[in-house]
Amino acid sequence: MAEPRPDRPALIDPRWARWAIFLFGMAFLVLFVALPVLTIVVEALRKGWDSYFGALAEPDTVAAIRMTLTVAAISVPLNTIFGVAAAWCLAKFDFRGKTILMTLIDVPFSVSPVISGMVFVLLFGLQGWFGPWLRAHDMKIIFAVPGLVLATMFVTLPFVARELIPLMQEQGAEEEEAARMLGASGWRTFWSITLPNIKWGLLYGVLLCNARAMGEYGAVSVVSGHIRGLTNTLPLQVDILYNEYNMVAAFAVASLLAGLAIVTLVAKSMLEWRYADQLALTRR
Amino acid sequence: MTIEVSNVSKSFGAYHALNGVSLNVGDGELTALLGPSGSGKTTLLRIIAGLERPDGGEVLIRGENLTKQPLRDRRVGFVFQHYSLFRHMTVFENVAFGLRVRPRKERPSEREIARRVDDLLSLVQLDRLADRYPAQLSGGQRQRVALARALAIEPKVLLLDEPFGALDARVRKELRRWMRKLHHEINVTSVFVTHDQEEALELADRIAIMNSGRIEQVASPAEAYDRPATPFVSEFLGFANRLPCRVERGFARFGDMLVPAELEGYAGDAIAYVRPHEIGLARLNGRADIGRATIDSIVALGPDARVDLAYDGQRIEVLIDRERLAELGLNVGEPCAISILRAHVFKAA
Amino acid sequence: MAMTAVAEPRSVRRWNVLPGFGLSLGFTIFYLGLIVLIPLAALFLKAAELDPASIWKILISPRTLAAFRMTFGASAIAALINSAFGLLIAWLLVRYRFWGRGIVDAMVDLPFALPTAVAGVALTALTARNGWIGSLFAPFGIDIAFAPPGIAIALIFVGLPFVVRTVQPVLQDLEPELEEAAATLGADRWQTFRKVTLPSLSPALLTGFALAFARAIGEYGSVIFIAGNRPGETEIVPLLIVIKLEEYDYRGAAVIAVASLLAAFLLLIIINLLQRRLGAHRG
Repeated sequence: MAEPRPDRPALIDPRWARWAIFLFGMAFLVLFVALPVLTIVVEALRKGWDSYFGALAEPDTVAAIRMTLTVAAISVPLNTIFGVAAAWCLAKFDFRGKTILMTLIDVPFSVSPVISGMVFVLLFGLQGWFGPWLRAHDMKIIFAVPGLVLATMFVTLPFVARELIPLMQEQGAEEEEAARMLGASGWRTFWSITLPNIKWGLLYGVLLCNARAMGEYGAVSVVSGHIRGLTNTLPLQVDILYNEYNMVAAFAVASLLAGLAIVTLVAKSMLEWRYADQLALTRR
Repeated sequence: MTIEVSNVSKSFGAYHALNGVSLNVGDGELTALLGPSGSGKTTLLRIIAGLERPDGGEVLIRGENLTKQPLRDRRVGFVFQHYSLFRHMTVFENVAFGLRVRPRKERPSEREIARRVDDLLSLVQLDRLADRYPAQLSGGQRQRVALARALAIEPKVLLLDEPFGALDARVRKELRRWMRKLHHEINVTSVFVTHDQEEALELADRIAIMNSGRIEQVASPAEAYDRPATPFVSEFLGFANRLPCRVERGFARFGDMLVPAELEGYAGDAIAYVRPHEIGLARLNGRADIGRATIDSIVALGPDARVDLAYDGQRIEVLIDRERLAELGLNVGEPCAISILRAHVFKAA
Repeated sequence: MAMTAVAEPRSVRRWNVLPGFGLSLGFTIFYLGLIVLIPLAALFLKAAELDPASIWKILISPRTLAAFRMTFGASAIAALINSAFGLLIAWLLVRYRFWGRGIVDAMVDLPFALPTAVAGVALTALTARNGWIGSLFAPFGIDIAFAPPGIAIALIFVGLPFVVRTVQPVLQDLEPELEEAAATLGADRWQTFRKVTLPSLSPALLTGFALAFARAIGEYGSVIFIAGNRPGETEIVPLLIVIKLEEYDYRGAAVIAVASLLAAFLLLIIINLLQRRLGAHRG
């Protein structure tokens, strides 16, 4: 990140203004960011460390952890492949309808999570288009893992693509073309040339995609049926525990998710710091 | 308003932009700060304006020490290299800006402001464009708006940072001529920065030639060209042949040639800068006090010819009237005699 | 928000040299269609199963109207507050140097990274009558949690990064010469800010506001816990949709969902138009 220019006399704000801006800004951030995180920690540990770890070891919670990891393990790689494919055709080729395609990829961002989950209920729910067909074949999508995966895929679809598209566009196609001229096959070109060039942008996109996939609540809530032990992810588990007034447990699980968020942010910062130039290209 | 810069220094981290620079600009003068990039000329200009604070030294305008004065009270007009017009304001609003931000007590009425802006726009010949936005103007027009804007506040001094740098050659020439006329009309003490020596030579009353944070010479254009004070000025201002020589008893010796050298009391190795038109050409005629050279090429440049010669293992350029060259009947590949008419001699480093 | 203009690749007609065009485009469209387009189509088709009269009835029912009022009202207020403070924080991060600036910069991203349910329970605990913040206001009879202010608080939280991240790069790239020019012309810092800097930032501010607003309209997880969810009073549109789904009133849910999508879409168009008018003569 570029350094500000406090040495240019014309840009120096008066002292009182600097202090006021600093205090108001910091107060806002403390209020809205620091305090909530602090609250989670305090509430989770309200009854001590034993209760905390006890809550995390509950079978339902462990099942929720497993479910969250499973859903992420399926949706993130799939969306990554999608992201790479979309970036490949959008960045290296010219065709009509590019802008439309990019706008469509962005759609999940503008849709409320509840609606994101709801569309799958409309398709696969008991009264949905495929509902009777699924029932006849004894397959469940809604209120089962496939539903969770689909809803998560919908919501996190754009993340990797959004990072890779501007990056690959900026990089152009010259290197790939050169490789092809030298006789490399398509896949070889991709693995040896393209992938190394985009690896940091890819990692960044996967990181964000994963954070969202593990933390998604609204969409998953609609499709899951909240069946404990079976179709619960960690965010849903927080919901259940909270509604049972099991505060310590709810905040214990919340703290796991908050921890995940913080790890994501730290990793994000590190990536940004070390590979600023490459990532800056995606900021257009 | 005179400007006095005393011993100003400025560093940016480990980079020394200015090293103890001093300069005096007389009332109503148009002075150029000329030098290559990195010479410190823009930094000096910005320090005079108050856009940078010097690490040492002071700036006085009409005797007032401005170094401690806040920027907005200095009433210095500044024209930026890329104009820095306010894109969301019309030409009129841009020029009126300086008048509208004055404290209530000093602010003229809107009618008065309108009158002044119109006068200024007429002065810079842009009166019909008052309602346009900067994006709708050409580079040259934008530059004139920037000038009008700076003049609106009736500045004590006018400072211009490479004012014509971002324009194409033809527009630049026109604006130079126009600027010269304008300066005569309004007569505000002005300093401008440029790396283009032709611009400095054409526009300025006096030039300050800068190099690596120091001022090498301050003189009128003619004087700087005829009597360069340092090797750098000789090389920077116009082309000069660089010839090694030995100085003894007030003369510089080039092989068998002796030329008066303006180096008092020095004897030893030296470097001489000789302008292309200060070397004479002749047929070899047996005289001893000449240099022998071979003609490598002859290029016609309008009424003159540029003759490239090999002399003493070096390439030198000579500028000579084409008719005279024809009279001499010299051709490419032939040997000839050269005589050095005038040399600017400096001690060898 | 859609990605900004596509930078054209440096040469055209490349698909006879590089392979995989058909494969990648085909896969992309297939995947997109399967996961996004077909499901969304199902939504619109479901809503269309009702006749216009029934659709209208659902939309103007008191409960629906109250939910829309609540959602849009709170979202607008939250987006406005985020715009003001977002500008402040962006200024802080770009123009000032202070110890811990990197940490503060990372803090801005937390609402992005934190799961909405977690934010929901944390903010509720904080603003409930016995919470750290809630207890400060309780003696005055002001309820934050389980009341409209709570909804606004949650929406401010989720929208916080949008304005900061939209304004920050623009502020970073702002030519200092513009502010220097204003200063040489005699303007003080406040005048310079009002007349020169702010107009330069307003497109970015507007975009940030729109993004925060759009996000807030659809927000569910963080609001559900703090809202109290009383129909007609503190019920938000996404919740209304969920309730209809649980009642198996798929058509009703679809109608409200489509209405909410169209309203958000309309909002983005209006803001886009405003942007264009702002930028019209700027070149």
